[in-house]
Parts: sequence; structure tokens; C-alpha cells
Amino acid sequence: MEQTKKHWHDRTYKKLLIIPAALILFSIIYLFFFSSANGALFYKDISLTGGTSVTIYDKISVEDAEFYFQDKLEDINIREVFDITTQEQKALIIETTTEGELAKQIIEDFIGYDLVEGENSDFQFTGSSLSESFYKQLLIAILIAFIFMAIVVFILFRSFVPSMAVIISAFADILMTLVLVDIVGIKMSTAGIIAFLMLIGYSVDTDIMLTTRILKRTEGTLNQRFYGALKTGLTMTLTSFFAMSIALVIVSSFSITLTQIFTILVIGLGFDILNTWITNVSILKWYAIKKRK
Amino acid sequence: MKNKFKFTWRIWLLIVLLALSFLAIFSSTGLTQSGVVIDSIDLNSSLLDQGMTKGEIITSIDGLTVDSIESFSLILSQKYLTGKKVKTTFVTDKNEYIIFSSEVPKITVKELSKTNIQLGLDLAGGARAMVKAENHSLNQEELNDLVEITRNRLNAFGLTDLKVLSVSDLSGNNFMLIEIAGSTPRDLKKLLSEQGKFEARIGNETVFLGGDRDVASVGRDAQNSRIESCNPAQDGTYYCNFQFSITLSPEAAQRHADITDKLSVNVTEQGNYLSEKLDLVLDGNLVDSLLISEGLKGRVTTQISISGSGSGTSEEEAYNTAKAEMKQMQTVLMTGSLPFKLEIVKLDTISPILGEGFVKIILIAGLAAILAVALIIFVRYRSPKAAIALLVTTISEVIIILGAAALIRWNLDLPGIAGILATIGTGIDDLIIIMDESTTETRISLKQRLKRAFAIIMGAYATSMVALFPLFMAGAGLLKGFAVTTMLGITIGVLITRPAFSDIIKQFRK
Repeated sequence: MEQTKKHWHDRTYKKLLIIPAALILFSIIYLFFFSSANGALFYKDISLTGGTSVTIYDKISVEDAEFYFQDKLEDINIREVFDITTQEQKALIIETTTEGELAKQIIEDFIGYDLVEGENSDFQFTGSSLSESFYKQLLIAILIAFIFMAIVVFILFRSFVPSMAVIISAFADILMTLVLVDIVGIKMSTAGIIAFLMLIGYSVDTDIMLTTRILKRTEGTLNQRFYGALKTGLTMTLTSFFAMSIALVIVSSFSITLTQIFTILVIGLGFDILNTWITNVSILKWYAIKKRK
Repeated sequence: MKNKFKFTWRIWLLIVLLALSFLAIFSSTGLTQSGVVIDSIDLNSSLLDQGMTKGEIITSIDGLTVDSIESFSLILSQKYLTGKKVKTTFVTDKNEYIIFSSEVPKITVKELSKTNIQLGLDLAGGARAMVKAENHSLNQEELNDLVEITRNRLNAFGLTDLKVLSVSDLSGNNFMLIEIAGSTPRDLKKLLSEQGKFEARIGNETVFLGGDRDVASVGRDAQNSRIESCNPAQDGTYYCNFQFSITLSPEAAQRHADITDKLSVNVTEQGNYLSEKLDLVLDGNLVDSLLISEGLKGRVTTQISISGSGSGTSEEEAYNTAKAEMKQMQTVLMTGSLPFKLEIVKLDTISPILGEGFVKIILIAGLAAILAVALIIFVRYRSPKAAIALLVTTISEVIIILGAAALIRWNLDLPGIAGILATIGTGIDDLIIIMDESTTETRISLKQRLKRAFAIIMGAYATSMVALFPLFMAGAGLLKGFAVTTMLGITIGVLITRPAFSDIIKQFRK
């Protein structure tokens, strides 16, 4: 059984690269059309477009609010916050790009009482010039982080192809995750950057383990080393995946920031399985076999 | 397996650091002392004059023990029921204060905190604002001035628990960041965005400006400042007048004398006044126009009375508006105007309401995630010992991170908590690498194998560290909490907890 499996992989590992290559190509084309249609690489929430988020500490139905505000406030996004243990609603959050004072007025008309900041409600306002610069900076930050990571990977392995294999699979993780985030329609906030940075970290963890096992070890056959790395790596990714999924279910009722971070991570870890065990493994195997000859 | 568990120095180091972390996290005063902590003292309170400061712990009032906010307010409310002037003795951990008053002393208190962990604004509540100059790029020097004036202004307004600092971002923009913990001042927007240019004019001539060059002192106690009268207006609303006195500098007083000397006297039925009025202008709006009595003509006088009014739909509202307007004007007179017109680019207010429940949810989420991981480890390795070792190591890591955060007084905010979660994630990855490397059957020694595990771990550590650097700057540092806690966490992980774990695992393999 084990033997046939390895044979199977020896024959097909190059062909398997078609899957990630096709996905990467699709992702790049998708992002190209997406960004020309939307003017950005992803949908932005108000922390990146500018706008006001109003939190009302009261029990108000999301449906009622949506129905009432749909043609009164611009670009609305309404959510509720509830206590996970009691399932009791604690607050309603309304996000809009309508100017703050005007939005406050409209909301007060709906709920029928005055909103007092810090008492029955909270306001978070971000100016559009600031959010525009935030968006640019987040992209720059991810880019710098990625370049730094790439440099360290090159220093670690000191050979071109294996280092590139790690970098390409990390890049593919980010790319595919971004595309799925867009397809699902998630509006990214500034916290989204945190998720992508964490993703770079998790992605590279398994890749470094894999590459070290293959290049710096001599025990066993190449395939045995790949199989050993696969066992370790899948345990690593699956534990993270389950831990994040559980955390996501628990915080989703409460924190928008953490919900977004965990959602992106769960998506990203899923793609990491593909990119580490197909993209990275295939390139590395190709390289190792060629070098041995 | 029969041999005894050996405590290596790495395991001892972990135990010692865990103990130290507990000491750092749990406040000794919070656990041993009872009382309430003073959160704020009204600027007009005589307790402030006696030297009472924020942060002192009130242990008793008039000999009655204070052990909670309830007992604090109960004792005080019963004392001041009659409205008569009574003597009250406050005993704090530092001093004893005695006041005579007919109304409840204006101090707010909070429960003694049992831990030293400080929660960030997004969890503990408060207000945060980012400000930049309108149509003008601030250089560092201008920004420092702005920070200085704003800090004085907010202090003068009675806000003490605040941070005002200059921040810059990746695009090279400079901002002023203001964070006020625990409370949301109602007039924050006004207080921050208004330039606060105060000018007192007679005709076209400026008599004095706000700021300490012209204004030597501003009366703010009960004798020198008050709300004078409240009256209904014709349209059914109410208005209240306020008045307070200020002391001019000798130069400004001389200017006043020179200008009034040139004026003529109008004789009216109400009395004799000078031909021009003293106009008080704040940010280009006329606040009040005061008649100048005949006796002041050409006189060098340093005492000037400033007045104005506030209106509202009810008498109470009018009173509060007048009070706020007065406070604002006093603040501006004391601190002077800002050199630029400002723009608030971000203003967040956060109530502690959600934060309280949130800490609980984070703990549940964290614990559930760690337990899930331990279960997977148990199934994969069929070893309860390994699963327990992993649980213990991971939880220790979190405790040591919290201890370090408490020690350096780092404010734990939401991004910071995400950072701790990131650390747990990479930590578990590393522990799995250690487990697997130690079990691989090879001809080399266990020690060698663990050394190899750490080669992988250090490589992953280096990539994570460098990837976090840009976050210190991006988004004007608002996500710094994530970078700091993650860097702190993974560093503690690779240096302390993960080596200790490897020593524990070694014993199982023998």
C-alpha cells in the first residue's frame, strides 16, 4: 500500500503542479478584473473607506433596522452582538458612510431617544483621507513583511529553487485566500492585515519544516522523508485549523475584529495544505531528484 | 519509564518564570488590601488642594471601613442627606484628609484591581482621537507644540487619565493621537477640533488674547467663577449666564488702560459707560459684549470679569450648557490658541459594556482551542503524557506573556489578544515539530534530534519576527499591539517554554 502510494506520487508529482498553477493563474486573472471593477484588491469596510460605526446598546432587531435604514443611510452594514452564554442581544452595530452627525440624527429618529456617546452608544469615525492612506499602508506592510520573510528564507536555505518554492507557496496562500475572501464578499478591515501577516507565519512554518527535512537530512529515502514531513506538517496545520475554527465559532457573536482574523486564517490554512503538500513538495521533489542525478 | 522525573535547568527556569509571572500579574495590594481606588477628583474640590491624588486607596470614611464602591457611596450619600455642612474624614493608604462641605465630595472611585494587567481602550473603554492640521503637513516641531498645548488643555479641562502623543505612519504622515482611558468626555470633539482662538477687543483693537502671555490666571473656584442666573427666554427656551474673573498680565492691563483712555463716556439711565464695548470673540464668534463702566477709563486694571451664556430647552440643560461653555472658555484662556486649524481624522468612543463580557469569551475561546489541540495530540500520539505536557507548556506560555505584559505595563488590546492567539498557534506548531523530531527513529542521539528540531523552530521564528516589523509603523501604529505581543510571545516561546517542553519530552522517550 505504502509502496504503491509512493510510486503513484513519483509518477504524478510534476503533473500535480498543474492544480496550483491553474489556481494561481485563475486568482491573478480574477484579482485583475476584481480590482479594475472595484478599484481595490478587496471590498473595504468603513475602517478603510471612511465612515461611521454606531454601536447602540439596546435590543433592536437587525431586520427592522435594515428595513428602516436601507434607503436612508448610505452603504449600510448592520450586525448584532450577543452574549454567547445567554444568547441575549447586547448591542446593534450600524456601519455607514453617511456623515456622522446626520447618521446620528437618522438613527435617533428610528430608536426614538437621544444617543449619548459613552453611555448608551459608541461612535467610531474614520475620515476618508485617513482610511485611504491606511489601505495603502496595509498593502505596503504586507509587501514589506513578505520581502523580509523571503530574505530570511534565502539566508536559511542558501539555494535558489527550494527558497523560491517556499516563497511561491506562501505567495499562493495569500493570493488564493484573498480571492476566496473576495468571492465570499467579506469586507476587509484594518484587522484583516493581521490575519494575512499571521498567515505568512503559519504558511512558512510548515514549508521550513518540510524543506529542512528534505534538504538537510540524509536518513531514509527521499520519499520516506517526504512522508515523515507530511505527517508532522498535517498535524501542525490541522491543529491550527481546528483551534482557529473553534475560536471563530466562539468569538463570532462578539468581536468583528477577531471574527475577521479567524475567518481569513481558517481559509488560509485550508489553502496552505494544498500549497505546502502540492506546490512546495512538487517543486522540492523535482529539485532534489534532479540534483541527485 | 520507571526512572524519576528529572528537573533540568530549563524546566526550573520555566517554573521560576511562571512564579514570577504570577507575582507580576496579581497585584499584591489588590489581593491583600480592601478599599476603593480614586479615579478622579474634581478640579474645584478642596481634597485636591490638600494633596489627594488619583490612584490612592480610600480605606475608610469617618472610621467606617470602605471595601466596595457600594459601601463608599452608601456612606457618603447618608452623610449629605440633610444638606448641612458636615465634617468628613477620608483615610487613604497614604494620608488622612478632612473636609467640611455641604455637598457630596466630587470624587469618583473604582474597585481595587486584582491584577496588574491593563486592558487597552477597545476592551476597557474610553475615547481615542487622531488629529491632523487642516491643509497643512505638520513637521515634528509643530507636532510637539500641538501635543503640548493639547495636553495642557485636556488637563485644564479636568481630564487626567490620558495619553497625548505624536505618531507617524508608513506614508510619512504625522498625527496627534489622543487616548483617554475609561471615560468619554462629551465635548471631546469640540475641545480637540476647535482652535480655541480667544480675543478680547475694544473696537478694532485687541486688548488681550488667550494664553499665559496675556492672562496671568483664571478664576475657577466657587468665589471667582459661577453660573449667575437662569431665565426663560421669549421662545420658551432657557438661558443661563456665567461669569468668572481673570487676572491680566501687567502688559495686557496697560494695553487696556491705553485703549480705554481714548474712549468717551455715554451717560445712560442704567449708569455711565464708555462709548465702546469689550467684545469677547472665540474662534471668530462673538461670545459676549460687555459694557465698560466709566470708572475703568484709562485705569491699569488687572482684574477683568468675563461672562457669557448657555441656552437649552430646559433649565437644567441651559445650566449644563452654560457650565460647559464656561469650562471651555476658561480652558482656552489658560492654554492659549492652537497655531493651526485642526481636522479630526479618527474619533472612536468605546464603552466598557462589551469589554467586560469580552474578556470572558476570549478566555473560553482560548481554552476551548487549546483543549481541542490537546485532544488531537492525544489521538495522534496515543500519549496522555504528551497531551498534558503540551497543555501545560502552552498555558505556561500564555501566563508568562501576560506576566511580561503586566511587568512592562503594556496595554492589552484586541490586536494584542490576537497576537497571543498567534503565539499559541506557532507554539503548538513548534511543539509538534519537537515531538516528531524526537520520535524519528534514526541512528543519531536524542539530543541531536532535538537540536535539529530547534534548527527548524529558529528558522520559522526568524521569518515571523521580520514579517512583524512593518506593523510598528503601518496604520499609525494602531496595530502595534499585535506586533508587540506576538514578538514577545514567540521570543518567550523559543527561548523558554519550548526548550523546557523538549526536556520534558526527553524524559518520556528514555
